[in-house]
Amino acid sequence: MLHLFKYRFLQTIRDFPMMFWALVFPMILGTFFYVSFGNIGLEGTGESAWEAVKVAIIEEDLSSENARSFAAFLEQLDGDTLDIQNITSEREAKEALNEEQIQGIYYIKETPSLTVAKNGLGESILTSVLTNYNQNSAMFREIAIKHPENIQKAMNAMEDYRQTTEEVSLGGKSMDPNMQYFFALIAYACLSGAFLGVRSSFDGQANLSALGARRSITPTHKLKLVLIDMIVLFLIHFFNILILNLYIVKVLGISLGNNICALLLVDFMGSMIGVCIGLALGCVGKFSLGMKIGLTVLVSLFPGFLAGLMFGNMKNLIELHCPIINRINPAAVLSDAFYCMGIYNDMERLTRCLLILAGMSVLLFIIAFLGVRRERYDSI
Amino acid sequence: MIHIENLVKRYGDLVALDHLNLDIQEGEVFGLLGPNGSGKTTAIGCLLALLKYDKGTITIFGKEMRPDSYDIKKDIGVVMQNVAVFEQMTVWENIDYFCGLYIKDKALRKKLVEDAIAFTDLEDFTKMRPKKLSGGLLRRLNIACGIVHKPKLIIMDEPTVAVDPQSRNKILEGILELNRQGSTIIYTSHYMEEVEQICSRIAIIDHGRVLAIGTTEELKKMIKTGETITIEAIALDAGTLADIRELPHVFDLTYEEQVLKIRLSGAKHNLVRILNYLQEHDITFGRVFSELPTLNDVFLEITGKELRD
Repeated sequence: MLHLFKYRFLQTIRDFPMMFWALVFPMILGTFFYVSFGNIGLEGTGESAWEAVKVAIIEEDLSSENARSFAAFLEQLDGDTLDIQNITSEREAKEALNEEQIQGIYYIKETPSLTVAKNGLGESILTSVLTNYNQNSAMFREIAIKHPENIQKAMNAMEDYRQTTEEVSLGGKSMDPNMQYFFALIAYACLSGAFLGVRSSFDGQANLSALGARRSITPTHKLKLVLIDMIVLFLIHFFNILILNLYIVKVLGISLGNNICALLLVDFMGSMIGVCIGLALGCVGKFSLGMKIGLTVLVSLFPGFLAGLMFGNMKNLIELHCPIINRINPAAVLSDAFYCMGIYNDMERLTRCLLILAGMSVLLFIIAFLGVRRERYDSI
Repeated sequence: MIHIENLVKRYGDLVALDHLNLDIQEGEVFGLLGPNGSGKTTAIGCLLALLKYDKGTITIFGKEMRPDSYDIKKDIGVVMQNVAVFEQMTVWENIDYFCGLYIKDKALRKKLVEDAIAFTDLEDFTKMRPKKLSGGLLRRLNIACGIVHKPKLIIMDEPTVAVDPQSRNKILEGILELNRQGSTIIYTSHYMEEVEQICSRIAIIDHGRVLAIGTTEELKKMIKTGETITIEAIALDAGTLADIRELPHVFDLTYEEQVLKIRLSGAKHNLVRILNYLQEHDITFGRVFSELPTLNDVFLEITGKELRD
C-alpha cells in the first residue's frame, strides 16, 4: 500500500504541466491581482472607490412643509452621499437618466418620490435615502402632534445616535473589496486540483489509455487504486493550497483572517472537491487527454468567474438574480466559506458551506469510482 | 490452460470476432497471426476481461475469466501493443511500481525488479526516464513492466512494432527464455517471420475467425505450395510462360518486372527441371532463388491475399 502511495506521489509531483495548473498558475494569477490593484487601484478590478450618487432634483410643488423639508434634507446630503446635478427641467432629467448620466430623479412635492432606471448600488442608496426620510419625517410629525415638548429631545437623540454609532463588521474585520478577489482566487485554486484528478482518472481507465489497461489487469482492486489516487492527490493539492495561502499572506501581505483552524478546514474541503471534480471528469466520456484538460480549464475557470474571480461583483449579481447557482457552484460555496471564516465569523453558515462541499465531494467520488470500476468496456 | 469457445464480439455492424475458438496448452508459445484489423487485439481484450463480448466463454487456468478474477490476474502478465509506462518515473521506479501491483513483499519485489532489469538488459538505464530512452529500450521497459512478477501466462500484443532489428532479436530471444523458464506465452503479430521463429503453435486469424491452426510444419503441409522458384529473366514471351506452366508440378506462375515467380507442389528436382528448360531454349536468366513455403504462402493460399495487405 505504502509502495503504491509513494510512486503515485512521485508520479504526480513530477507531472509538471498538471502541477503548473494546480499550483503555479494560481500563484501567478494572485501576483497579477496584487500588481494590478497596487498600480491602478480598484477601478482596474471592476470595483470602484466610493463616489457620491449622481441625481437630479425636480421641484414640482414646494408649497407644502414636507416638500420644503425634503428639499432641505437632500441639500444636506449633497457632496457627501449625493451629487446633485444642475438640472431643473423634467425632460432634461429624464434624458440624463436614459443616458445614465444620473442614477435617479427626486421629485419634490407633498409626497416626495423617486424615479430610477435600473437596479444597482446607486439606485439602492437613492431609495434608502427616500425611505429613511419618510420614516424619520413621519416619526417627527407624530412626536410633534402627540408630544410637542419632546421634539427637541428627539432631534438631539438622533444626533447622538449618529455620533455614537460606528459601523463594524460582525467578524471584526473591515471589508476590503480586494479580499473577495483573493477568496475567489483560492476557491479557483482549490478547483484546479481537478487537473491532478483528471490525469489520474485518465491513467486508470482501460478504454482511454494503455496505462489504464495495464492497471486494470492487475490483481489490485480498482477501489483500492482509486482510493490511493484520491488520497495522494488530495494531500498534494492540500499542500498546494497551503503554499498559495502562505504566498498570499506572507509575500503579498493580504490577510485571510485569524482563524487558522477554519482556514485549514476550508482549504481541506476545497482541495477535496477540486480533486474529486477531476476524478469524475476523467471518467466521463471517451475523450482524449487534451480534450479533458480543456474541459478541466472550463470547469475550474468558469465557476471561478461566477464566484467573482474576474469581476468582483459577479457573485453578488448572481445572488440577486439566481441564488441557486451560488449554492451549487463549488467556487462560490468555497468563496462564501472564506467570507464566513474571515469576515462574517458566521460559523453556522460556514458549517453549511462545508457540508455542501462534503456532499458534492462524496457524490463526485462515487461517480469517479463507478466510472473507473466499469467492469468491461465496449471498445478499448 | 486457456479455452475460448464461440467468442463473438461486434462493434456495431462490424463483427470483430466471429465464433472464435482456441485452446492453448501450458508451456506453449502460441502465436496469433493475422493482418492488422483481423481481431487479434480484440481477442486479447476479451481474454483479459477488458472488453465486453456478445457471446462465448473464456476460461483461464480452468476458471471463468471475469473483471474481478483477481486470483487469475495475479498469474498473468501483459505486454501491451502501446507502451504503458509512467513518463514521470525512472526505469527502475516504473518496473518497481508495476511489480508492486502484484507483489507485496519488499525483498521479493526488489529481487524480481533486478531480475527483470537484467532480463531486458536495462542495467545501464535504470535511472533514466522513458522520454530519454530509444524506441527499442522503451519497448524493453514495456516488456519488463509486464513480466516483472514472473507470471505463469504472458500475453504479448505486437511487442515489436516500430522496433529496430537488433532490439527485435533481443526481445524474441527474451520471449523464448521466458518460455524456457516456465511461462506460457501468447504472442500476437502480423510479422510472420517472428511468429515462425518463436511460436510452437500458430493460429492464423482473419476477419475474427481462426482459418488454420497448428505448428509451422503442419500449417505448411496444409497448402499446395511445396516450393517457390524465383528467376530474373528478361523479356519472356507468352509462349515460354505457357511452356513453363505446363512443366510437372507447376501450378501457378507470375511474371512481373522481369521477375518470374513459379509455385510448385512438393516434389523433388523442380529447380533442375526448370533450369534445364531455360538452357534448352537458350533463355538468358540472372539470379535464381528457391524457397520453401512460408507462413505468408500459407496465408496467401488460405485467404487469397498477402499477409501484409
